[in-house]
Amino acid sequence: MNQRDLEVLSAYLDGQLSPSDSARLESRLKTDPELVSVLDDLRAARTLLRQLPQRRAPRNFTLTRKMVGLNPPLPRAYPAFRFATTLATLLFFITFSVNALAPQFQQSLGFEVGGGAAEPELFSVQAPAATEPPAFADAAPTEAPAESVAADAAPQPTAMPTSEASMRAVDTPVAKDGVVGNADDQDQTQVANEAQSVPAPFIPSVWMIVFAVGAIVGAIFMAAMRRSSINRWK
Amino acid sequence: MNEQALITDAQQGNLDAFNTLVLHYQDSVFNTALRILGDEDQAADASQEAFISAFKSIASFRGGSFKAWLMRTVTNACYDELRRQKRRPTTPLEPDAGRDDGEEMDSPRWLADPNMTPEQKNEADELEHAIQHCLNNLPLEFKTVVVMADIQGMDYTEVAAAVRVPLGTIKSRLARARLRLRECLQGFAELLPASYRLEGGHAAQ
Repeated sequence: MNQRDLEVLSAYLDGQLSPSDSARLESRLKTDPELVSVLDDLRAARTLLRQLPQRRAPRNFTLTRKMVGLNPPLPRAYPAFRFATTLATLLFFITFSVNALAPQFQQSLGFEVGGGAAEPELFSVQAPAATEPPAFADAAPTEAPAESVAADAAPQPTAMPTSEASMRAVDTPVAKDGVVGNADDQDQTQVANEAQSVPAPFIPSVWMIVFAVGAIVGAIFMAAMRRSSINRWK
Repeated sequence: MNEQALITDAQQGNLDAFNTLVLHYQDSVFNTALRILGDEDQAADASQEAFISAFKSIASFRGGSFKAWLMRTVTNACYDELRRQKRRPTTPLEPDAGRDDGEEMDSPRWLADPNMTPEQKNEADELEHAIQHCLNNLPLEFKTVVVMADIQGMDYTEVAAAVRVPLGTIKSRLARARLRLRECLQGFAELLPASYRLEGGHAAQ
């Protein structure tokens, strides 16, 4: 019995021989009892192995996400948001620098766009200092009610500057024409002041709203994508 | 079970699809590990390791027999386990009383076959232990091939794919493994119960 015969017998047992090889082996088996004996041994071993009971797995070997270290996958659009932090920082600095430069920017814009727009500003700086003292000095000796009104208005000049000016405008016709003109000027400059102080924060606030809306929409979009990808993953 | 669809899903990271495959193959995987290692606890550990490693590397599966691919993973896990044992031989903390006179009462096979009488069970256990003893004495590469072919019923090409050796080598290893097992089992012939007598008059003597 050589190695080759052993392999042929084993393959024959499993039906792995070609028909011609099988026929040749079968004719040899009829004349060679040793071959028959080895074939029986191989068959016996195979039968025993096949009869070996199949054990059931002692437990389920199903895997948990923790076992395989799985994390929810990132949304497909994730690369687009990879530089979101950088972009946010950049926008933050741009916003800051625009805000810091805003007064100068506004001034230069005012001077350049129209001379007319610059005039009220000049008045607003000069007018109160020039007109206030004469108005006060003239009003005091002429009428007591004017004094009392001025005194009443004095504690709150900053809060109600327009009303003070209009009061004086009402009072002054009795005293002097020049003062009336001055009061009118002051009135105009204050209105101009107000008119100018309103649009100043208006321009950045549009951008702020645009940025804020963009940020909120982006955040909601990102959160929705994340959620949907986690749901799909589950 | 649409195996191919489950494999494709598992390759895309779908753990539920993979777990369906686990439930389908876990008994085969566990039995293979059990016959190679000869120890239930080690076989359970190796099976678990095999499935974890299979999930992690399932992207590398390029078609063919999935069972063969899985068996390769199991045998690798078993080889790792055997290497670990060689490095750190352990002695059990408690004496294994149930080993000598048969399985413990909560053995899964015993629960699965409640109609067996204790005598039949003892006979079956004796035979199983005898076969396992002979399997343990085989060289590892012979044992792997004979377990896959004769215990798992895989065909030659599947075994060759799992072990990654030529078909001729599989035939040769299988033939020699069967002969060695037969010789080894002859030593247990008188211990074997009548219902498990070997086939053929020559072999039974």
